[in-house]
Amino acid sequence: MDHILSLIIFFPLVAGILGFFVSKDSIRVYGIVVAALEFSLTIALWLGFDANIDGFQFVENVTLISHFGMSYHLGVDGISLFLVILSTFMTLIALIGLSIKKDAKNLIISVLYLEMTMVGVFLSLDVILFYLFWEFSLVPMLYIIGAWGSDRRIYAAIKFFLYTFAGSVLMLVGILYMGYLYYQTTGVWSFSIPDWQLLVLPFNLQLWLFGAFFLAFAIKVPMFPFHTWLPYAHGQAPTIGSVILAAVLLKMGTYGMIRFLLPLFPDATIYFLYPIAIIAIVMVIYAAMVAYAQEDMKQVIAYSSISHMGIIILGTFALNAEGITGSIFLMISHGIVSGALFMLVGVIYDRRHTKMMSEFGGLAHSMPTFATIYGIMLMASVGLPLTIGFVGEFLSLMGFYRVNWIMTILAGSGIILGAVYMLNLYKKSFFGEITNEKNRGLKDVSGRELAALVPLVALVVILGIYPKPLLAPIDASVKKMIVLMEKKVLSPEAKDFILKVNSIKGGE
Amino acid sequence: MEKYLYIALFAPIIGSLVASLFAQSPKNYFTGIFTSALIFVSFVSSMILLNYVGEDVVVHVEIMDWISAGNLSIPFGFVVDQVSVIMMVTVTLVSTVVHIYSIGYMEHDKSFNRFFSWLSAFVFSMLVLVMSDNFIGLFIGWEGVGLCSWGLIGFWYHKHSASWAANEAFIMNRIADLGMLMGLFLIYWNIGSLQYNVVFANIVNLDLSTVTWIGIFLFIGAMGKSAQFPMHTWLADAMEGPTPVSALIHAATMVTAGVYLVVRASEIYTLIPDVGFFIASLGAFVAVFAATMALVNRDLKRIIAYSTLSQLGYMFVAGGLGAYWIALFHLMTHAFFKSLLFLGAGNVMHAMNDELDIKKMGGLYGAMRPTAILMSIASVALAGIYPLAGFFSKDKILEVAFDQGAYLLWFALFIGAGLTAFYSFRLVMLVFFGEKVHEKLGFHPHEAKPFVIYALTPLALLAIIAGFFEHSFHEFTTELLRDYEFSLDHSIGIILIFATSAIAISGILFAVYKYKRGGFSKSIENWGVYKLLKNQYYIPKFYEVAVMIPFTKASSFLWKSIDLRIVDATVDTIASIIYGSGEKARKIHTGNLSTMLRWMVVGLIVLLILAIFYRPVI
Repeated sequence: MDHILSLIIFFPLVAGILGFFVSKDSIRVYGIVVAALEFSLTIALWLGFDANIDGFQFVENVTLISHFGMSYHLGVDGISLFLVILSTFMTLIALIGLSIKKDAKNLIISVLYLEMTMVGVFLSLDVILFYLFWEFSLVPMLYIIGAWGSDRRIYAAIKFFLYTFAGSVLMLVGILYMGYLYYQTTGVWSFSIPDWQLLVLPFNLQLWLFGAFFLAFAIKVPMFPFHTWLPYAHGQAPTIGSVILAAVLLKMGTYGMIRFLLPLFPDATIYFLYPIAIIAIVMVIYAAMVAYAQEDMKQVIAYSSISHMGIIILGTFALNAEGITGSIFLMISHGIVSGALFMLVGVIYDRRHTKMMSEFGGLAHSMPTFATIYGIMLMASVGLPLTIGFVGEFLSLMGFYRVNWIMTILAGSGIILGAVYMLNLYKKSFFGEITNEKNRGLKDVSGRELAALVPLVALVVILGIYPKPLLAPIDASVKKMIVLMEKKVLSPEAKDFILKVNSIKGGE
Repeated sequence: MEKYLYIALFAPIIGSLVASLFAQSPKNYFTGIFTSALIFVSFVSSMILLNYVGEDVVVHVEIMDWISAGNLSIPFGFVVDQVSVIMMVTVTLVSTVVHIYSIGYMEHDKSFNRFFSWLSAFVFSMLVLVMSDNFIGLFIGWEGVGLCSWGLIGFWYHKHSASWAANEAFIMNRIADLGMLMGLFLIYWNIGSLQYNVVFANIVNLDLSTVTWIGIFLFIGAMGKSAQFPMHTWLADAMEGPTPVSALIHAATMVTAGVYLVVRASEIYTLIPDVGFFIASLGAFVAVFAATMALVNRDLKRIIAYSTLSQLGYMFVAGGLGAYWIALFHLMTHAFFKSLLFLGAGNVMHAMNDELDIKKMGGLYGAMRPTAILMSIASVALAGIYPLAGFFSKDKILEVAFDQGAYLLWFALFIGAGLTAFYSFRLVMLVFFGEKVHEKLGFHPHEAKPFVIYALTPLALLAIIAGFFEHSFHEFTTELLRDYEFSLDHSIGIILIFATSAIAISGILFAVYKYKRGGFSKSIENWGVYKLLKNQYYIPKFYEVAVMIPFTKASSFLWKSIDLRIVDATVDTIASIIYGSGEKARKIHTGNLSTMLRWMVVGLIVLLILAIFYRPVI
């Protein structure tokens, strides 16, 4: 188990390179086998993970360029563990559900590269390494959208690439400056996150660095008003691209916030807390309303992702264990649910070659199993208790309630508006009589599609009823981080704030 | 005894899951019988528990941890105490009847199996709601009944109106649920737990304003589920569902949840009598408000729906004024006669080929005598005539209002009692007696199957005798709930009883008298009041004009004008400016050597100037 993290990162890369030599006919099976092996590696990682240790585990640290403090530094803790598993799981599911035949080989190899970068982002403890994976993740996605997308795919792909890339460049400046600051303070260079976490920065520097990192994350999430690349990317991407984009790539942004912004710049975090929370609330409501106005089923889900990401951000900036644990859990659950929803849209798109809701209606008659699975995912998406969607949403909102209750009510309107657009979608597409003859006699979900969807349904229910295996390790690492923040924070007001949001009131 | 708790709780969901396996296969009596049997098993277990529970004897189990993060820890815990066991018995009893009834009612429906799956899930959700030992467990059931009502109201999803009503119910409930969620957050951050016993033990230590807010938030939740004004519109529209569903929603599951919450959280509401008084006032208002709408409606099911609304108002008056056991008592008696009324209405609908307009019926007594008798019993009970069940519970509520000196509330309820009697018998008269309008319209009514009628008899029996359990009920529930001390003089109490009975009886007599003679003349339909009532005070219209249409417009404005035209256009403009300037700047690179040399000289000069004037700060 010593090098399991390296194995997890580079196995898809090696397998991807070998994939060029695999024959076209067997590439699909090959891809699924690789993804399944990779997934079982991450499960092995989970089994080997000690939930009682709140720090990094399975750490690998090899110095690369000692002069500049760059090293090959990997590690996993409760915060990243399940994001890694989510990445490998959703890749596997997306590959099982893959229906594209054209150039499938290139597509599958791109997906495997993408998997490497996603896992790499979550496992890197060296910031330069993190940045490499972060940027490199754009390339396979650029191909996936640009080569297998719909009509305006080039525009969407370029927009996706340039927009997120522009944001990241500023982060690079921030990273280099952080490294320099570390050198100034300690006399040695280091880009290791655990080292950086010990660095106490003056307030005004925190503000600037926070800004540099925040912009990159905000575009990735995407936060309002940087979100417009997302609807295009989803609108044009093939199903597999949308699934991975929504399930995992967006989570890199929120993961970055928790990994970098909170522990590195605690004072700046508290300073910017309210503005960010306001943006998050705007995101929740605005995206939900825009989702309601959509005519294209996939766009509804794309905008709903933005709305849900708003809740995740709110939970993160609650700065208490309830909120942050909830937001990490919500990342996982949103990954599963939105991935499933995009996959479901793919199922109907494969049959009807349209995503317009006006083209559907009465699908529950012709495709009852499909309608049932869609219904379950819909309920998970609106956060019904005992589905996976409830736990994270509940904890995130609960966490933020301690910060500000009026803002929580506003953000909580997301659970109403979520029901509005989702039920509206369901009613338009599935209920009513079959008005369009093309919808009559559609084939219900096939075995291959079921193989991809059933595990998702099972997870939605199982983790909704028993979320503890995930919550416990997450919570331990989050609590450790909060203690760190509380220790590091400079101003007494900020310290009081952290203590306040982490305590039960009982009269204040 | 824990064994019986598990059986009572999980039997319905097992039934539901088994039935769901057959959801896509053709009708199979097995699902109906199997689920009914399991609900009955659940009822029997509840009865055993009812016998067992007593002073200091409650059954409490914790199955496992559910959510824990930070300081929060929520288990799946269930408790059977005096309040929950009453609810369990009521819910499972009514549900058993409804299930058996539905086997006959849904006989010709192709989604027979799916229906029973949803129906049992509905019962399970309600049981989770009432049996949970913490607020979050209650919330699970709370949302669960919301989900099941969505599935059942929209059961005939091919009908546009049904799926619309289902969505309306779900969304309206969600609005209220948000309020409730806020209440839960507030409790958690002040007490650190959501377990009932911890919360109720510590609630007195909080300052009054916090408790008031908790009370308000929780009541907002209750308003949605119990369809109190202004969130009442979904209940009448929910009539789109099959009739057994209406019986279940109105009698046992769903709408009584709000009343249950107020009763369960009585430790909180006792501390905040002002909020309690507001609840009571709203209840009294709804009692009259809904009754007036029932006066003119012609839709068989909607009339009964409005009467539920009105009766829920009565329950909230009792709950708000601190007479928790009376609220619970009325909840129970109401469940019996209201489900009976709905199921009877279902028989009528079947006989009339799903015609709902009571003006098109008339004289059905001849064709369906048992149903007519059953519905008359239910109506008499609803009107509150001695010795039927409604008399005992409703009279107590009026007494409480009078006792508290809330004479205005009392008067409202008093008027409400008269209206209730009138519209109930208007319905009975128009449906079962008078001129046989249906013959002219070519209907051939027939009575329901015998087993359906037999299934209804327990409800009829209870509608008649349940009132006599008042004393034992009182003793039993006040072991847990705070007792209500009457300070009213005995003789005044007697006068009140007579006054209320008098107005109820006159209401009945007036209805009988009037509709024996063919009812009111057509001209009243032109009255302003009639139109106002007929259009439900224009509230649904108002919601459409003031909420739905603006929301839809605003959404599409945000998308088309803000998101595409401003936010996205800004991004594209920046991109095209950069691209465009690059395109223009490219012309500098002409490839002409002398031009390039000239630019080189310019660059050199700039650098020289910089080198002379700029001194970096060290």
